[in-house]
Amino acid sequence: MESHRRTANDVSAANRNLAGVADPVSHLNGHRPAPMDGPSFHAASERILTTINTVIDGKSDAAKLALTVLLAQGHLLLEDVPGVGKTLLAKTLARTIDCTVNRIQFTPDLLPSDVTGVSIYNQASRLFEFRPGAVFANIVIGDEINRASAKTQSALLECMEEHQVTVDGNSYRLDEPFMVVATQNPIEMEGTYPLPEAQRDRFMARISMGYPDKDSEIEMLETHQATSPLAKVSAVVATADVAAMIAAVQQVYVSQAVKEYTVSVGRATRESPLLRLGASPRSMLQLLRAAKATAALDGRDFVLPDDVVHVAEAVLAHRIILDRKAAGAGETPHSVLRGILSRLPVPHRPADAGNKAPGSTNRTTPVAGLSRNH
Amino acid sequence: MTIAPPRNTGTDQQPAPSTGNAAERTRVGPYPWAMAGSIAVGVAGAALSLNGVLRGWGWYWPVFTTVLVVCFTLAALRAVRAKPLLVTAGGFLALAAALTLTFFRGSSIAGVIPTGASLAELDRLIRRASETVLSETAPVAPNVGIVMVICAVLGLAVILVDALAVPLGMPAATGAGLLAILVVPAMIKPQSVGFWGFTAAVAGYLMILACSQWFVPDARTSADSARSPGQVRRAALTGSVALIATLLVPLAVPGFDQGTFPQGSRLNPWGTSTGLNPMITLGNSLRTPAGTGRITYATNSTAPLYLRSVTVDHFDGDSWGPDDRNASRRSLGSQIDPGYTVLVDEQQPVVTAIDAGSFTSPYLPAPYPPESVRGLDGRWTWDPATLSIKGTDTTSRRQEYLVRSSVPRLTAGQLARSSAGVQGIPEDFTRIPGNVPEIVRTTASAVAGSGGTPYEKAMAIQKYLRSAEFTYSLQSPVQGGYDGNGLSVLADFLDQKSGYCIHYASAMAVMARLEGIPSRIAVGYAPGRLTGATVSVAGEGALPEYEVDARDAHAWPELYFQGLGWVPFEPTPSRGVVPDYASEALAPSAPGALENNDDLAPDATPAPAPAPSAAPLTAPGGGEGTDAGVQLLPLLLGLGGVLGVALLAAAPRLARTGIKARRLRSADAGTAAVLAWSEMVDLGTDYGLPPKPSETPRAYSSRLRESSLLGEPGGMDDAAHGAVAALTSDFERREYGPPPERAGALKEGTGRTGAAGAHQEVTGARIAALETALRAHAPALRRLRAWWVPPSVIGRLGRLLAAPFRVAGAAVVQAAKAAARFWSARWSARS
Repeated sequence: MESHRRTANDVSAANRNLAGVADPVSHLNGHRPAPMDGPSFHAASERILTTINTVIDGKSDAAKLALTVLLAQGHLLLEDVPGVGKTLLAKTLARTIDCTVNRIQFTPDLLPSDVTGVSIYNQASRLFEFRPGAVFANIVIGDEINRASAKTQSALLECMEEHQVTVDGNSYRLDEPFMVVATQNPIEMEGTYPLPEAQRDRFMARISMGYPDKDSEIEMLETHQATSPLAKVSAVVATADVAAMIAAVQQVYVSQAVKEYTVSVGRATRESPLLRLGASPRSMLQLLRAAKATAALDGRDFVLPDDVVHVAEAVLAHRIILDRKAAGAGETPHSVLRGILSRLPVPHRPADAGNKAPGSTNRTTPVAGLSRNH
Repeated sequence: MTIAPPRNTGTDQQPAPSTGNAAERTRVGPYPWAMAGSIAVGVAGAALSLNGVLRGWGWYWPVFTTVLVVCFTLAALRAVRAKPLLVTAGGFLALAAALTLTFFRGSSIAGVIPTGASLAELDRLIRRASETVLSETAPVAPNVGIVMVICAVLGLAVILVDALAVPLGMPAATGAGLLAILVVPAMIKPQSVGFWGFTAAVAGYLMILACSQWFVPDARTSADSARSPGQVRRAALTGSVALIATLLVPLAVPGFDQGTFPQGSRLNPWGTSTGLNPMITLGNSLRTPAGTGRITYATNSTAPLYLRSVTVDHFDGDSWGPDDRNASRRSLGSQIDPGYTVLVDEQQPVVTAIDAGSFTSPYLPAPYPPESVRGLDGRWTWDPATLSIKGTDTTSRRQEYLVRSSVPRLTAGQLARSSAGVQGIPEDFTRIPGNVPEIVRTTASAVAGSGGTPYEKAMAIQKYLRSAEFTYSLQSPVQGGYDGNGLSVLADFLDQKSGYCIHYASAMAVMARLEGIPSRIAVGYAPGRLTGATVSVAGEGALPEYEVDARDAHAWPELYFQGLGWVPFEPTPSRGVVPDYASEALAPSAPGALENNDDLAPDATPAPAPAPSAAPLTAPGGGEGTDAGVQLLPLLLGLGGVLGVALLAAAPRLARTGIKARRLRSADAGTAAVLAWSEMVDLGTDYGLPPKPSETPRAYSSRLRESSLLGEPGGMDDAAHGAVAALTSDFERREYGPPPERAGALKEGTGRTGAAGAHQEVTGARIAALETALRAHAPALRRLRAWWVPPSVIGRLGRLLAAPFRVAGAAVVQAAKAAARFWSARWSARS
C-alpha cells in the first residue's frame, strides 16, 4: 500500500495531526469563514492560475475549470489518453494550495480500507486506534480510478458524497475544503471497472485534457527537459483562503431568469430524442454551482446565462447517455449538448417595457412553450 | 443530495424580484375589469356612430348588451387567470350565446345553446341582411337580420380589440379594430362618423391605452414610469395622432367615398348605382361631392328639359317607393299612349337623344310624356298609368336611345280655367293616405284653403314652399333626423322648414291631394348644362348637347288637371326651373329662377333657359366661393394624398424615432439599462445583425463587436466598442444581477453609474456613439434601409401580422398529424 502513496511522506505530519480528527474540521464547520472580497478573490485566483500555467503549457482552460470545480465544492474527473498531463494538472492544483494532498494509485487489489482507513490495535495503549486512510486530505488524487474494484471505488465515492468516513461505527469528518480529482484512461479498458453512471454523476465535471498545440508542445520540451516543473511550485494560497473563496462563491447572486434557464437546459436534455438519459436534478444543482464559481472567477457577483453555457458541457456531458441511433449517427454527448444550447432561448425580461403584454401574467412560460414547440 | 451544503444561502435567499413577481402573478386585481370596461366603452361608443346607417335607435340595445356580455366574459375568464387562448375561445362562446339568446331564443336549448333549427334561422337572417344591404340604402330599417349581423360583427370586434390589447400586447393597435367600426359610417353617412360616436370611440381607445399602462402586471415598469407626466403626454400624443390619421386618411385616399367597400357598388349609394328605390338614393346622389352617373342628352326642346325616371304615387307606409304595377305593364312597342287626351291646341314635338352613360337604374330617364322610344337594347315595359319605362332584364347603363315626346304648351290661363272635376285617372293618384300628420293637414288648409280653383291652390302651395320661410339644405334633414321620405319625415320638414327637393316635392304632392288635386312625385333630373358639343339627329340636324349627373338628381310634383294632363310644378327653391305657367307674374325672380347647379359652372348656362338676365339671387360672392372651392378641392385632395403617402412612407422611421426617444428618456437607472439594451439590439437589427433567441446578451454583444459593423476596436471606433461593452454590462447587471438594495450590501460591485441624473446623458452618448459607428461602416443601401424601413420596426409589425397565420398554421399541422395518425392506425388495423 505504501507504494501507492507516493506523497504520503509529505503529508504524514498532517495525517498524524488528523488522529484527533474532530479539531480542524469542527473549526472549519463550526463558524462560517468570512467570504473573500472581490479584489483579493481576483488576486488569489490569478495567482493559482498563473502558477498552474507555468507548469502545464497551453491548458489554461482546463486549469481554470479545475479551479472552478474546487471553488464550487465539487469533484473533478479527468479523462483522457495517457501522457497528456492529467496527473500533473491534479498535482499542480494541489501544490498551489497550501493544503494536504494525498494520492491514491488505484489497482485491482486496492482495498476499501486503504482508502478510508482502518482501526488497529495499539499494543501499548491496549486500545483500538483509528488509522486514517488516504482519503483524509484536502485534495485527494485518485489515479486510474477505473482500475480498482467496484467495492473500492464506492468507498471513495461515499466519502466524496458524505464528506465523512465511517469505520467501525465511528464517523470521522473529512477536512474542508475536500476535493477528489480522479483520472481515468478511456483506452486499454481490459480488466478495468468503468465507473457506472450513478457514480459518474458524483463528479461535478469531467475534463478531457486534449493534446497541447504545437507551440505549447515545443515549449514543454524545452522547459521540462532537466527537472520536473512541479519541483519549483510552491503554495500560493492558504487553506483558509480557499475556504474564504468558497464562501465568496456561495454568495454569488443567481437571478430567477438564470435559474429558469438552468432548469430549461435540464429539461431540454430530458426531452431530447437523441438522449436515452438526460441530466438529473443533482446535476442541475452542480451546474448552477459551477456557474457561480465561474462568475466569481470572472469577477462578477451574479451569474449570467453565459456562465451556465460555459460550464454546461463539462458538467453535463459525462452524465447523459446517447440514444443508440444518435450514437450510430455519429453524435457525441458534447455535440448533442451544443445543439441543445444553440437552440434554447435565453430567458429575458421583456425586452421593451412599452411592448410587453400587459395581460400575460407569467413572462417566461411563452418562451418555454416556444422552445418545446421548436 | 448531500452535495448540497447545509449553509448555502447564496442561492436560497431570493428576495425581492422573484417573490414580488410571484405575488403579482397570483393577484390579478382590477386590471381585467378595467380593460373590459374600456373596450366596452370603445366598441359601444364606436357603434353610436352607426345611427344613420341604421334608422333610429332601436337596434342599439341588443348591440350594447352583446358588447357588454362579450367584454365581461373575457374579463371574468381573465380574472380567474384562464389561458389566453381559452379566454378568446370563451369570448367566442359568449358571443354565440348572446346572439342565440337575442335572436334564436325560440329554437335554442335553454335559451343560449343553438340547435340545428337556429342554424336555419341564422341562414334566413343572413339572407335577409344581405337583401337589405343589396336593396336598401342608408339609413336602412333595422330589421332583425341586419341587427343580428351588426351584433355579431361588433362582438367579433370586441374579441379582436381584446386580443390585440391583452395577449398580443399591442394596445396601440386596438385603434385598428375601433377604426374598422368607424369606417362604415364614415363611408356611408354623408356627415361621416358624427361627434358622439367618434368621441366615445376615442375615449375608449385612450382608456384601453391607459389600462394597459396602469395595470401592468410587471411591477418594474409600473413603478418606474406609469404615473409620470410623460405617460399623460404619451397618451395625448397617441390620441391626437389617431385623431389626425382619422381625419386625414379619408381625405388622402382617392376614391375612398366611391364604392371600394365590399358590395360597395350597392352599399355605397354615392357611386353610379341608384339601387331599386330612387327615392331614397336621391339625397345621397345630391350630396355626392363629384358628379357621377353622367347622362348626356341632346334635344330640340326650347324649354328646360326635365328627365324623369319614375313616379311615386303611394304615400302610405314608412318608405315611399315607386309602384311598378307589374300586372298592367305593357311591353314597349312603337307607341306609348298617355291614356288621356290633352285639350291644348299647341303641342310641341320634342326629340331627345339620350346617352345614359354610366347611370345604372332599371328605370329609363326620359322627358315626359314620351310617345316613342327607339334604340334601346333589351326588353323594356311601360306603365300606362305613369308612363315610366322599366327594363325587365336590363338597366339603363350604356343605353343610347331617341325619345320623341310632345309637350303641350300650357299657359297660366289654361290652367286657371281647368276647374272641371277630375275623371278618368286611377284612384291611386287621388287617395289620401291614412295617417297624415296633423301639421300637414293644418298647413295645407292654411296655405291653400282659401284658393278657389285647383290651379290657385297649387300656386298657393308652391308659393308657400318657395317663400323665404323655407331654406334649401342637403344637410339639415340628416342632422335633424328626417332624411328620407314618408309622412313623418314630411311633418318634420314642415316643422323645420329646411330640406331638399324630395321634401318640397312630397310636401306639395301630399298637400295637393289633401286639397283634392291628383298628384304624384316625379323622380329624375333637373335640366342640365350645355356641354358645348352638338349631336346630329336624323331629321333634326345638329342639336345642342346637355349633361346631368348625380348632383342634378331631382324630384318634383306633378299635378293632374282635367283636360291638360299631368303638369309639373317646381316648389323647390333654387333648383330646377319654374315653368312659365307656374310663375307668379309679378314675382321679381320668376324669369331667372334658374338656380340649379349651374352656378358651379356659370359659363355653361343652358341656352334654352328663358332670358337668364343674370338675376343672381344667391350672392355672387357665394358663387365665386363655390367656384374657388371646386378648384381648390382637387388641390387639397392631392395635397392630402401626398401628405398621406409621405406619412405612410415615413411611418416606420417615425415609429423608430419615437421608440428610441422614449427609451432614452427613462428616469430610473435600472430601467434605463434595459431600455438602452433594447435600443442597442434594435440598432444592431436595423444594421443587419438581429439577435438569435438562444443568444445570451454577452454572446450577442461580442458577436456585434466582432462583426464588421462596428469597425476595428482600438481605433476610431473604440468609443462604439466601449459603448457596447458598457451597455452590455449594465444590462447584464440589471437583468441578472442582484436587486439594487442587495447590491449595496455586497462589497463586490463593479461601479455602477451612481448619479441618477447623469445616466441619461451617459446612455444617450453611448447609443449615439454606437449609431455613428454603425452608420459609418454600413454600405449606403443598408444605411438607407436602417433609416427608412428599420427591420426592428418592420419585423415587429410582421410578427404581429403573422401571428394569426402562425396559429392557424400550427392548428393545420396538428390536424394533419392527427389525421395521419388516425389513418395509419386504421390501415394497420386492417392489415
